[in-house]
Amino acid sequence: MLLLIAPAALLLLLFQVVPIVIGANASFRDWTLSNPKKTWIGFSHYVSVITDPAFLQVALPNTFLFMFASVMGALVIGLALAVLLNRRFRAQRLVQTMLLLPLMVAPVIAAIMIRWMFNDQFGIVNVILEAIGLEGQPWMAQRWSAFGVILLTDIWLWTPWFTLLLLAGLQSLPREPFEAAAIDGTTPWRVFRHLTLPMLRPVIVVCVVIRSIDAFRTFDIVWTLTGGGPARSTELFSLYAYVDAFLKLDFGRGSAAAIIGGLIILVVGVALYRLVDRVVRV
Amino acid sequence: MGMVLQPMFARMAPGARRAFFSFAVTGVCLLFAFPVLWLILTSLRPESGVYYVHRGTELTLGNFAEVLRNDRIIEAFANSVVIATLATVFSLMVTVSSGYMLSRFHGPLARTWFGSIYVFRCVPYISWVLPLYFVTQSWGIYDTYLGLLLPHIAVHICFFSWLMKGFFDGIDPSMEYAALIDGCTRWGAFFRVALPSAIPAISALAVLCWLFTWNEFLFALILTGQRTPVITVVMAQFVSEMGLQWNLMSATAVMALVPAFALSLFGQKYIVRGLRI
Repeated sequence: MLLLIAPAALLLLLFQVVPIVIGANASFRDWTLSNPKKTWIGFSHYVSVITDPAFLQVALPNTFLFMFASVMGALVIGLALAVLLNRRFRAQRLVQTMLLLPLMVAPVIAAIMIRWMFNDQFGIVNVILEAIGLEGQPWMAQRWSAFGVILLTDIWLWTPWFTLLLLAGLQSLPREPFEAAAIDGTTPWRVFRHLTLPMLRPVIVVCVVIRSIDAFRTFDIVWTLTGGGPARSTELFSLYAYVDAFLKLDFGRGSAAAIIGGLIILVVGVALYRLVDRVVRV
Repeated sequence: MGMVLQPMFARMAPGARRAFFSFAVTGVCLLFAFPVLWLILTSLRPESGVYYVHRGTELTLGNFAEVLRNDRIIEAFANSVVIATLATVFSLMVTVSSGYMLSRFHGPLARTWFGSIYVFRCVPYISWVLPLYFVTQSWGIYDTYLGLLLPHIAVHICFFSWLMKGFFDGIDPSMEYAALIDGCTRWGAFFRVALPSAIPAISALAVLCWLFTWNEFLFALILTGQRTPVITVVMAQFVSEMGLQWNLMSATAVMALVPAFALSLFGQKYIVRGLRI
């Protein structure tokens, strides 16, 4: 029994536990490229990260806003699509393939595509806007439009995942309540609001938890779309830590930022897990 | 919106309703496919036409030819294929048994293992990839296959053990008990009975694992340098280095999409199953 998990446990230990311990150790030391002595300095990196306006007022709020907006957006659109597709029709397989498409696209490629479409001079989005008489925007040069494009990319990438999971959930619901509602002549909206939604709730909650935890650590699409810019205004916490460690070459401070983020998501993750547990049991 | 739509919807004739439905579905599909289609179209335009992709009709395969002349890109493709394939094989070896253990055994050890897997899955990648950079360097495996492969396998352990547990939960264990009674050892029951009946699930994992590794970016960005370029990192570097050559970048991106699409078309039913947690 122990042998079954021994290889997995060993790998986890070597490549996850050991690095985390080393990172935690580094976060208490003054460890930069110019000063490789690694002097012990206690919590001062943590204090400096937490009091840094770029972390407290930009990176952290961005991360939570991103997590919330991207998960909600993908959930609402994904749910609408799942309800729309929950019937038999021709070309069902084709539609499923089309929906799987974004799931196969590497986030980096998605970011490149979207960046090209939103290019301020030659991108198709501005071309279309100008063709219908609106003004093109320098999307990536303004904080909120850049943030919007990042969100759009993430929602495009993840909506299909919600659709597939929720569709599977819809198809496993019992038929009787829906037949009874049809006989009573209930309007489709009321069926959705009072039958579908409550019965689908466990699936929705599980999807939201998994996606939230993953959205919190998003790195690749932001890095490729904006690199955190303009002027570090679209940074998420993982970019903040990366920039500290690999661009400013201050490994101690970068580790401290990464650990703060890890602790936050640990709390959020445990809270969400409790929530799922309660919802699924009820 | 539902409130407004529904009465309107109910008043429509069945034919109109069906037309509305097909219209909506087609629209949604187009919306989801558009960025990819646009990328493909851009990759087929010559350099002079790339700034007016929507106008002009000259199409060319020259971009692909030019990308294929770039040694670094070829090397990156080869590296990505090797790493994705090896990571898939080894991840499966490690996670299938761990998922089996989670599904069949109960007790403090199994509970602890499940708990640590959940916690480790929540740890943001950046929090352990950052120090992993130093770990791989001090072990002398930074910027090698091994230095990227082993962390990749470790990433997959949590999620895939979890998925695999779900798959094994869906397989009735009574066959294994029968095998045990007939004198099979516990390991024999695992290899001869449980494993063969889990082959569809293992295929699902294999497809997902390959795709995840192929698409992965952050680990590759931090753990590889000049000697072991992989395709996602090389593409992201393009954005800064050749930001104006959108035709070449699109061609590279399309080439990176091809294996993923081929695999997903082939393994569609497995993927849909695997994504259902």
